[in-house]
Amino acid sequence: MTSAVTTRGLWQVFGAGAKAALTRELQRGAASEDVASVLRAEGLIPAVQDASIDVGEGELFVIMGLSGSGKSTMIRSISRLAEPTAGEVIMQGEDLLKASKARMTELRRTKLGMVFQHFGLFPHMTVIDNVAFPLKVRGMGRKERHEKVREIIEMVGLAGREDAYPRQLSGGQKQRVGIARSLAGDCEVWMLDEPFSALDPLIRRQLQDEFLSIQEKLKTTILFITHDIAEALKLADRIAIMRDGRIVQIGTPTEIVLNPVDEYVREFARDVPKGRHMTLAEVMEPLNGAVPTDGPELSTSMSLEDALADCALSMQPMAVKDGDGKVVGLVRPELFARALGAQG
Amino acid sequence: MSLVADLPITGRMKRGTLAGLVVLAVGVLCLLLEKSVPWLSVWPEAWTIPATQWIGDGLGWVLNGIKPVMRFVSWLLEFPMNGANWLLKSIPPLILIGMVTALGWILGGWRMAALGFLGLLFVLGSGYWLESMSTLALVFVSVPLALTMGLGIGILAYEYPSVKGVVNATLDVMQTVPTFAYLTPLLLLFGFGPVVGLIASAIYAAPPMARNVLLGLERVEAEVKEAAVMSGGTRRQQLFLIELPAATTQIMVGINQCLMAALSMVIIAAVIGGFNDIGWEVLLTMRKAQFGQAFLAGLVIVVFAVVIDRMSRALAVEHKARDWRPAAGLFAVSVVAWLVTLGSLPAPAEFNWFGGVAERVDQSVGDFTAANGARLDAVKNGAMFYGLLPLRIGLDQAVLPFTWGFAWTPAMSLWFFAVAAALSVAVFLTGREALAITIACLAIVIETGVANLPWPFLLTAVGALAWVASGWKLTRLCVILLALILISGLWERAMLSLYLSGAAVVACGVLGGLLGLWAAVSVWAWRVLEPVCDMLQTIPLFVFLIPVLMFFQIGEFSAFLAIIAYAIVPMIRYTRHGLVTTPPDLIEAATASGATGWQMMREVRLPYAMPTILLGLNQTILYAFAMLVIAALIGTTGLGQSIFLALGQADVGLGIAAGAAMAILALVADRLVQGFASQQRAALGL
Repeated sequence: MTSAVTTRGLWQVFGAGAKAALTRELQRGAASEDVASVLRAEGLIPAVQDASIDVGEGELFVIMGLSGSGKSTMIRSISRLAEPTAGEVIMQGEDLLKASKARMTELRRTKLGMVFQHFGLFPHMTVIDNVAFPLKVRGMGRKERHEKVREIIEMVGLAGREDAYPRQLSGGQKQRVGIARSLAGDCEVWMLDEPFSALDPLIRRQLQDEFLSIQEKLKTTILFITHDIAEALKLADRIAIMRDGRIVQIGTPTEIVLNPVDEYVREFARDVPKGRHMTLAEVMEPLNGAVPTDGPELSTSMSLEDALADCALSMQPMAVKDGDGKVVGLVRPELFARALGAQG
Repeated sequence: MSLVADLPITGRMKRGTLAGLVVLAVGVLCLLLEKSVPWLSVWPEAWTIPATQWIGDGLGWVLNGIKPVMRFVSWLLEFPMNGANWLLKSIPPLILIGMVTALGWILGGWRMAALGFLGLLFVLGSGYWLESMSTLALVFVSVPLALTMGLGIGILAYEYPSVKGVVNATLDVMQTVPTFAYLTPLLLLFGFGPVVGLIASAIYAAPPMARNVLLGLERVEAEVKEAAVMSGGTRRQQLFLIELPAATTQIMVGINQCLMAALSMVIIAAVIGGFNDIGWEVLLTMRKAQFGQAFLAGLVIVVFAVVIDRMSRALAVEHKARDWRPAAGLFAVSVVAWLVTLGSLPAPAEFNWFGGVAERVDQSVGDFTAANGARLDAVKNGAMFYGLLPLRIGLDQAVLPFTWGFAWTPAMSLWFFAVAAALSVAVFLTGREALAITIACLAIVIETGVANLPWPFLLTAVGALAWVASGWKLTRLCVILLALILISGLWERAMLSLYLSGAAVVACGVLGGLLGLWAAVSVWAWRVLEPVCDMLQTIPLFVFLIPVLMFFQIGEFSAFLAIIAYAIVPMIRYTRHGLVTTPPDLIEAATASGATGWQMMREVRLPYAMPTILLGLNQTILYAFAMLVIAALIGTTGLGQSIFLALGQADVGLGIAAGAAMAILALVADRLVQGFASQQRAALGL
């Protein structure tokens, strides 16, 4: 997997004289924690500290953290909605932070798309004009751009609502417009800043599913921000967890749940139903002699939850098969109990 | 434990008490030394600098330098002005009425159409059609100028943060400098004539537009702006395709305020004369004591103000696009009406439907004043002799055998102070230090009179208030600004202005506060008061003078009433608003705790509303200063009179210096009240 977006040593410090102070401290070569505490002592706000991530081509990369952890600032630094104080953002070999204003406008028109938490819809434009705006600023004619975005509007399920104004739409519909608009420019890196956080739970789940199927179709690289661990686990290929401006752990959902690096991440993972994210491969015992023949069909990739449903009544050890149908291990009821109760 | 917990509170109390005691000490010292050290009570002339002269010379030099350019601008502006004038006067009145009615329909449906129709019909019937068109022509030219300037300034301030500070400060000053003060330098630049009114009104009307444009742009949701950036818009595309359109509602509010300001200023500028407009008509008839006619002309102005205000306000309200056909129909009807009546209608100037009304007004006002003259005089003299005059020159000078029936003796002063001191000490001992000190200071003010207050006492008092309200920085600002007035020799006049506006503000505070309270507890009361407030805020300043003149003639008392009528509105509005917007959960909590209605008002709603009420008071103060200058037309002393005199003599130095002194007073009052308001807000955690 080649990388689509890379950040190296990205810093975003707010306050007067931030740049000078940061440059001074970085030249001193101190650890980034110490730099941050020096800056804080000077009354500056280090919102993103020394953040380095590497997002693969077509990967769905989630940045998760509580409010105030710097995740929104992080994505705004990458898209240069906020000018980062130091670091690099590499996209296809180009450092975005060195790009001129005109070049940045060009990149936003052709390569970057963004969806906002509170939708950011233009109140004076209809749905179709909102969606077609990225094409309008490129100078595309009205008829042509409307033609072009109809397909996208259909894809997000807004066909028939083209002439409505944002104020006439429900929250879910508004975010569909936001999604459609961010896709109108054929983006290669798709950034979503808590896109579903302002929606109620039912609509949220529905949009998550649709979002996944859009991603299936488009295969763009995605940077997704959320404060909801369940959402992160459901969507992500990999997750970066942020705390107080620092990235504390990067890993797959399973890694985050099973091997949290510290108390903070563990706290996050606490309420996660582990049975849903742990597979039998992670709890089974190696075979020791006899292979049970009766009992339910279990395989290594099954989640604990699914397996439990199948063998809730069994008191005997059960065989677990791998993808080829070969028996590779055993599970016993107490293994389930231990796995689920261990950190709960 | 409790000692530590109490510390912040006692610390705060001490701050106020300390400041109050210092002020009191200075006051007592000044009183004691009054006889032996005369410069304490009156700033010696020898110590003043000829600031008025310097400003006059300096500005005169600058103005003379740019005069040729300005005369050229003036010459240029005459074309659109004459054009608008010609156009408005050549369109047959019936057709213009049809056009306005049709416009009303488009903006706000049948109600607005009816308002436009009846309003203009009234103007036609009053016989002031041509004068009104002269006024409108000025508005027509000045408003686009003001809108363009305001839009440009607003965008500039939004785009360049460094410009924003300058623009905001300038707009603040422009808002506090009295309107008349603008006119004098403009007179020098452009010569006598309507162009001065035009330019003055454009300058006066641009700031509200600029403020609203800036506010609107700043209030566009951050994500909307970011979405425009991420869609790949250039800066210009972001601004013109997204941010300005998204700020439309606020900008429309700006247009409304701009229109009203322009109309108000055009009418004020009538004092320069030379354009035969409706403001001039009011002034003329007022001077001739033809109150019926003045009243009628004043009504025409009010009608214009209401029609323009309501129609432009409809711009800011979102509505569905209306069918244009009824509008076209209305217009067609007016054309038909014009054709049918062609030749049979009198010339616009000859309408006199309401001549009888004017006469009857004259008659009945005459009858009323004749019948109740003694009573009116009693009210006026009572207020003057027992209220305003003592406040102005103090009991020691105001109490005369002629009015009070006895003369004030030093022994009485002594007794007065003794009683005040005893009362103050008694209150102090009950723990209400602030109240005690206030009583003592008030005693000094009442005995000496605002106009005769020793300057060190006043400077210390303002400085101390500023210190308590905000801190040393504000103290420094206020004291330096006031000292400027002192050394420029305008102190005495400033004190006269302070006294009259202060008295009006106190009256507004008490009366407006009570009315606001009443409107807050009674829906019915607000239903009556709201349209009255709306109306009072729409009427151009000038018109307030007519009714008070009718009943109380020229003089300070009339000015006092006119100021109250104008300045009371914000006090009523803000008080009510503050009281009715108490969060429901607070009310529920108080109810659940068993509070009665009155306890709820005093313990919960009033404290919560205090910051809002203070802002209302702040507005009232600014309104009072604005009206004070206009009231100079009907006889007040002080800075307003100086500004007015300067206008008559084209004395730029005096006009600007007195205007600046007025602005300083307003600014100091504004900052003090704002300081207390934000302190209150912070205390409530808002």
